[in-house]
Amino acid sequence: MSGAPLLAVTDLTVDYHTRAGEVRAVDGVSFTVETGQALGLVGESGCGKSSLALALLRLLPESAQIRQGQVLLEGVDLLALSANDMRAYRWNRIAMVFQSAMNALDPVYRVGDQIIEALEQHPSAVSQDPAERVRELYDLVNLNHNSIDRYPHEYSGGMKQRAIIAMALACRPDLIIADEPTTALDVIVQDRILRELGNIRRELNMSMLYVSHDMAVIAEVSDVVAVMYAGKIVEYGDAAAVFKRPIHPYTRALMSSFPSVTGEKHDLATLSGEPPNPLDLPSGCHFHPRCPFATDVCKEQAPPTVRRGTQWADCWNPPGDEADG
Amino acid sequence: MAAYLLKRTVQILLTLFAFICIVFFLVNAQPGDISNVYALNPELPPDAKQRMQEQFGLNQPLWQQFLVYVKNVLTGSFGLSFSHYPRSVADVIGERLPRTVALFFTATVFSFYMGFVLGKIIAWKRGGWTEYATTLGGVTLYTVFTPWFALMMIWLFAFKAGWFPIGKFLDPVLWRDAPLNANTLFNRMMLTVFVVSVIVFAIFLVTTRRRVAGARYIQIGSLAAAAAVTVGIWWSTDVGHLAWDLIEHMILPVLTLTIISFAGTMLLTRNSMLETMREDFVLAARAKGLPEKAVRDRHVARNALLPVVTSLVFSLAFAVDGSVIIESVFSWPGMGQTLVSAALAEDLPLAVGAFVFVGIFVLLAHLAVDVLYVYLDPRIRY
Amino acid sequence: MAVETAPPPAAPAPTAASLRKVRFALMLRSLRENWGLFVSTRVGMIGLVIILFYLVLALMHPILMNTVWDERIYDPVVGYAFDETRQPAPPSRSHLLGTDPLGRDILSQLMYSARSEFLLGLLAAVVTVTIGTTVGAIAAYYGGVMDTILMRFADIMVMLPGISVLIVLSALIGVEHFELALIIGILSGFGGTAILLKSQALSVVVKPYIEAARAAGGGPVHIIFIHIVPNLLPLSFLFMMFTVTGAIFSEAILSFLGLLDVRMSWGLMIHTTEAAGYLLQVGAYWWLIFPASLSITLLCSSFYLVGRAMDEVINPRLRRL
Repeated sequence: MSGAPLLAVTDLTVDYHTRAGEVRAVDGVSFTVETGQALGLVGESGCGKSSLALALLRLLPESAQIRQGQVLLEGVDLLALSANDMRAYRWNRIAMVFQSAMNALDPVYRVGDQIIEALEQHPSAVSQDPAERVRELYDLVNLNHNSIDRYPHEYSGGMKQRAIIAMALACRPDLIIADEPTTALDVIVQDRILRELGNIRRELNMSMLYVSHDMAVIAEVSDVVAVMYAGKIVEYGDAAAVFKRPIHPYTRALMSSFPSVTGEKHDLATLSGEPPNPLDLPSGCHFHPRCPFATDVCKEQAPPTVRRGTQWADCWNPPGDEADG
Repeated sequence: MAAYLLKRTVQILLTLFAFICIVFFLVNAQPGDISNVYALNPELPPDAKQRMQEQFGLNQPLWQQFLVYVKNVLTGSFGLSFSHYPRSVADVIGERLPRTVALFFTATVFSFYMGFVLGKIIAWKRGGWTEYATTLGGVTLYTVFTPWFALMMIWLFAFKAGWFPIGKFLDPVLWRDAPLNANTLFNRMMLTVFVVSVIVFAIFLVTTRRRVAGARYIQIGSLAAAAAVTVGIWWSTDVGHLAWDLIEHMILPVLTLTIISFAGTMLLTRNSMLETMREDFVLAARAKGLPEKAVRDRHVARNALLPVVTSLVFSLAFAVDGSVIIESVFSWPGMGQTLVSAALAEDLPLAVGAFVFVGIFVLLAHLAVDVLYVYLDPRIRY
Repeated sequence: MAVETAPPPAAPAPTAASLRKVRFALMLRSLRENWGLFVSTRVGMIGLVIILFYLVLALMHPILMNTVWDERIYDPVVGYAFDETRQPAPPSRSHLLGTDPLGRDILSQLMYSARSEFLLGLLAAVVTVTIGTTVGAIAAYYGGVMDTILMRFADIMVMLPGISVLIVLSALIGVEHFELALIIGILSGFGGTAILLKSQALSVVVKPYIEAARAAGGGPVHIIFIHIVPNLLPLSFLFMMFTVTGAIFSEAILSFLGLLDVRMSWGLMIHTTEAAGYLLQVGAYWWLIFPASLSITLLCSSFYLVGRAMDEVINPRLRRL
């Protein structure tokens, strides 16, 4: 931990207006990302992780509102910038790899031109000729130069994903947010692309925020893990520590689908029950209706924070040390 | 791409054949003997009746009549018009079809452009009174009783303000000693407009494709220059004032048709924009830091355009109906007015002939829209 | 596939009556929800108010004719305003909207015509939707050659300019309200409505309960009319609204052009005005032109607005988030 972190998010809260009422998608979330670090944000769909990712770039839909909090990028609060100043930060400093890469390319333009569009929007980011830069990026993500002038529908799923990654790298951003970067791909392509993305990240010493519902993906790519449930981070810590000895029962449940890291323990076969209704969150610990260890206190009061080194979790009934041997 | 267009052309030709069959069916499905209507019209002299019977094969069995009919359609001969006797139907149509094409084409281009731009803007300002008012206004224009609206336009701009002539195709006083026929002049004018548009379009295409620096200025400049040169040349000829007379008679019908047809495109563009705005590439465009105007025009509107162009097929029929109504109200003698007056005069050969040509015209316009779509959507150009 | 096609569990066999009750309750609930959405579109409510207004006018006419209005004076077709010295007479206490060039009361004509407009619109809409849902369901259920034939035919119908067709037909055969409604219904039913309903039917055909019904031995007719068509009804109701607009509009145009054999209609009122040469004296004789023209426009837009509002209710992609 040397100097200020690249990205520091404090107490970020996002609400959605819906017909049925206000919904809190992100509830007072705080975390930091160091330069060159990869943070994995994991949780079931609907837990607010995508809203959190979009909130960092201020790309939330109109129905959403950032209630409070700060997003500091090297000390500058992005939430306080004017719309015009914010545009200079988008892609140039923080780029994004989208959830459904299949649809993130505009079907009516050549893929190369879409990357050039980003480069021309931020002329100060890269001094090279844009066309030259596109060729360089295609080399970086292992795409053939002759596909630069093709249209998205002529690309395969994996090629599209690489093109999207090339586009995200175009302006040499400090941070890349990857929202479910490989969900739509088959497992083999997914694995290869994740590995390449990790290599590129280390090579260029970029920070990255991976957002996924898939523990396996997060385990493969991240240095630090944050587990999100019902809009809150419920567990946070170094990837190694969290995967070795998870504190929160929810983290353990997510990992049960993933036995190679947890060893032989199968105390939770699968996660039972539905994710909570955001309009009507359970009292106390939001996880208690699905938690096998829940006690009366879980239903009434918000859980305290339990620390173990840099790792922490919000839980009333953390596993005793004897349970982990 | 060529394969796609070929396929569409074949489809359109098949459609055309089916359409011609439907017309034949309609003509023959009416009660009584069709030959009576064709041959017993009191306005026809006996020898013309004789010729008519032979030409339509009215004394032959139905299936032979059909063959004769198809041959007649292909050669464009629909017999003699009762109400314009002794002119042939083909002659009357040959005179009037170019006019309707001009009216329809101008109004469609204007209304499409206007509807698209306005629809784009109101979709972006979702919510609030702007959207509410434009939706109501758009629906009113879309469903307004067209003859009444046309009438109000004539009353307001021609009758009260006196800016335009009240209906008709030309001012007979001006044309008394005219050196040439109004039709010849009109066709020459259309040819000029066509050539100039092709040149301007080519300049637009080349500058956009080649990404010439300052393409916008070259485009606007060339458009202005072409317009100035055309007007200048026509002004210097001795028929300049006559050409202006024809144009003056056309402005109000074109304006009226434009206003009643843009609303449909506008409402459709709005819906299409709203659907496109949810696409991920729009979010990606914003994430790239593009200004809102670029996101709207370059990405949302460009993609929202595709379904709007597809639906032009629906609105083609609507616009053709619109020009039929407008022509009748303005007494502007194009195909539509011909169709209505032929129907009123029970001039069956002319009514059927006009209708067949209106149908062929819609089909050709359909093909043109297909070509346009191929140009706009790269997914079809394989 | 094979797993999904297994018939639903048959253990506690619910009676047909109780099932119907549940289905009815569900329908009622979704109806209430959709009504809320409909109200929130505002434009739909405006349309509904206008429709109700004209409905009241139409229903009032026979009552007025039998009570306060003298038949010789107020009959919309053969009446004559003996109480006025010059025809057309401007609005007065006895003739709220004045009289036409033939001395007939405009308000009475307006109210009398409203009824036939509703009947025409309703008939055209019913014909359209009956043909449209049947064709759409058949095309989606059978697919293949049947689908191709029906859809190519629909393409032709869509491309036909409806008003022009009606004009030609009016020259070939005499067209009255009934024929008009039938022709409009056929044109639209085999055309655009069939295309749009077919695409909806396609999403119904792939549902597991269709497969289940087929496995249970249901014939095509049974499946199409009992399982597919009911699922198309909300959408067809929407197209009914647009058909009504089209029918009223076409009727008005044709009778305005003098091509329709009807006793009285809003379009005919303007035709009478034109024939008598008052068409361009909009300022001096406004009551000859405005009431009928406005009524046509208002009633056309009201059905269109209701249709549009329903579109926003049914099609969630257009909904405000």
